[in-house]
Amino acid sequence: MGKKGMNRREFLKLTGAGSLAAATAGGLGVGLLAPKWVWGATPKVKGPIKVGYQAVLSGTLAGYGEFHKMGAQMAVEEINAKGGIAGQKVEMEFRDSTLKADDAIKNARYFVDSWGADFLAGIDSSGQALALAPVVAQLDRVLMITHAATEKLTEEFVFQKGIRQIFRICNATYHDANAAAFIAKDLPAVKWSTISPKYEYGFTCWKMFQDTLTKLKPGVSFTAESWAPFGTTDFRSHINTIMDAKPDGLYSTEWAGELISFVKQAKEAGLFEKVKHVMFPVGAAMDVLEGLGKDMPDNIWISGRYFFRFPNSKMNNDWVARFRKRWNHYPAYVSETGYSSIFAFKAAVEKAGSKDTKAVIAALEGMEMDSPGGHRVFRKEDHQALYDVPWGKTKADPKFPFKVMGETRLIPAKAYFNRPPFDGPGTRPPFA
Amino acid sequence: MQSVVHVCLAGLSNGMFIWLVASGLTLIFGVLGVLNFAHGSFYMLGAFCCFTVLKYLGAGFWIGLLAGPLMVCAAGFVVERFFLRYVYRIALPYQLLLTFAFVLIFDNLVKIVWGAGSLSPPPLSFLGGSIPILGRNFPVYNLFIIAVGPAVALLLWALLERTWWGRIIRASSSDREMAAGLGVRVPALFTGVFVFGTWLGALGGGLAVPYVGLLTPGMGETIIIEAFIVAVIGGLGSLKGAFAGALVIGVLSAFGTRFFPAFDMSLTFILMGGVLLWRPQGLFGAAR
Repeated sequence: MGKKGMNRREFLKLTGAGSLAAATAGGLGVGLLAPKWVWGATPKVKGPIKVGYQAVLSGTLAGYGEFHKMGAQMAVEEINAKGGIAGQKVEMEFRDSTLKADDAIKNARYFVDSWGADFLAGIDSSGQALALAPVVAQLDRVLMITHAATEKLTEEFVFQKGIRQIFRICNATYHDANAAAFIAKDLPAVKWSTISPKYEYGFTCWKMFQDTLTKLKPGVSFTAESWAPFGTTDFRSHINTIMDAKPDGLYSTEWAGELISFVKQAKEAGLFEKVKHVMFPVGAAMDVLEGLGKDMPDNIWISGRYFFRFPNSKMNNDWVARFRKRWNHYPAYVSETGYSSIFAFKAAVEKAGSKDTKAVIAALEGMEMDSPGGHRVFRKEDHQALYDVPWGKTKADPKFPFKVMGETRLIPAKAYFNRPPFDGPGTRPPFA
Repeated sequence: MQSVVHVCLAGLSNGMFIWLVASGLTLIFGVLGVLNFAHGSFYMLGAFCCFTVLKYLGAGFWIGLLAGPLMVCAAGFVVERFFLRYVYRIALPYQLLLTFAFVLIFDNLVKIVWGAGSLSPPPLSFLGGSIPILGRNFPVYNLFIIAVGPAVALLLWALLERTWWGRIIRASSSDREMAAGLGVRVPALFTGVFVFGTWLGALGGGLAVPYVGLLTPGMGETIIIEAFIVAVIGGLGSLKGAFAGALVIGVLSAFGTRFFPAFDMSLTFILMGGVLLWRPQGLFGAAR
């Protein structure tokens, strides 16, 4: 203190200048030593193209990570077998996101700072996605979200705060809540209730469902809500709450293993005989359908981010066949979004002629692509992909050892996705 | 009324699971002085082994329930005989580290052997279905669970208080060196107690198969935390305390979920904090 020498600020200035000089010299050096680079004799995109993918691989939801991996890895294999992206090989590293926000941030930093990732993808939880958003802006890499659904990510972080690096290839809560309300308005139920996850995703969906359904069908009421913390295995008290309220409709955004436990326990308690109209926005997930098998009651409205029987296109049917051959499994919805996200990177890099984040963002904005899940358009304003996924009523089918969608309804994404600027009249469905 | 009764029943059955896990944990702590983090893994392994016997060997659930936990006892034996035994004499943090390492090892082992996805057992035939209680269906199996809890408690009491083995165990837990001096083979006894504690945890896991209706890797992590809370509330090392604690926590959290949903996640922690302030040694713990 008070002695001669440098203070912190001076030191920083000096080292800053030093590293700038070093960088300039280094740049010159590369230019001199590698003239072909200057003359553009090699392709503009320097390889390999590195994708850092993270999804949950541990704990009770570890199966989801495996399904992400199957889809993404298959895309990498197929792309590399046909010459890669813009002539460059694709490399992917897959890490466990553990569903914790700080681990997601650590992984993203590792991918970019240590491993040299050009692209980031994955993320299951809404909480993680929101925590990661500002970090992705610093790291300046495109992050393609393949599972987390909160609309706040695209509405607030991308549209309002301008974090342009984030894109989402999977459906947002609009599908789980707004589209559900479009289905619910045509059902005879007028008293709705919910048992849903006690975190961001559950809260935001229930609120959106109520708002939209009230607009579509002014006479409805919402009589009971019970919130199950993450990791709930015993839903019996929650089921009691709902049965006490005697609703005629139940909307539940429970998902994965917790939905399986919930349905089994609700069946034992006779909930499905008392409440006739039930909607599971993520009930069409393969782990849920296969896990429940015959235990899934009939005539429940289910949907998801993708269901392998839709669309009935050649592209989708061929993909499902290849997927089953490769992994001996029906593709889960995260397999489709994982697979398509790698192809979205390919299309964007080849369109931009560069893997620079700025150029890729420009290419992805408004980009249209055909994928197994259907025709996708990345909306320019909020980077959310628009594509159509049906809702359907559960039904047994002798061709499958699990229930599938029988009667289906397809509401076009345009009709129920919130619209920019996300505030004020005309931004929320129904649209005129 | 209907609702209160059903919430009570749900709380009791849930409390019994916590008791089964906490009993093994408490027994091992009381006798060996080891806080076994891996106890939740034995619960998980119990469920997976039971499932394997019933699903892949085609035996019924009840045979799975007998055989599954016995298979897990082998794992308990290996853990105690070849690992834990060597850390009794060194500082407590090493014991915790070692048992925590086993949590990670067993979680990954389950993923390697049974896959990362969840497994869903078929519905029960014997004791399956529901009966109406005050006009609302309640699963018969859950009534069975409510009966199993006290039965295990009774068995443990009889074993510890009324048998020669129990006397030896109590003697060794109160003074290890004196017991050894009187000719008790303490290391062998410790192995036996650890394996028995393992069996209790694995039995809880086996019983959970039809109750939860789902097996996932990492399924032991939630219940081990509840079991720890129960053991602390009841007084570490006290079986009586663990039983009372499990009942209180089970019923309280069921009521919380139904009647005070805003606090349901914090209720158990508030209770634990209150008990620790009032009686730091726990409800039935001996003052030190």
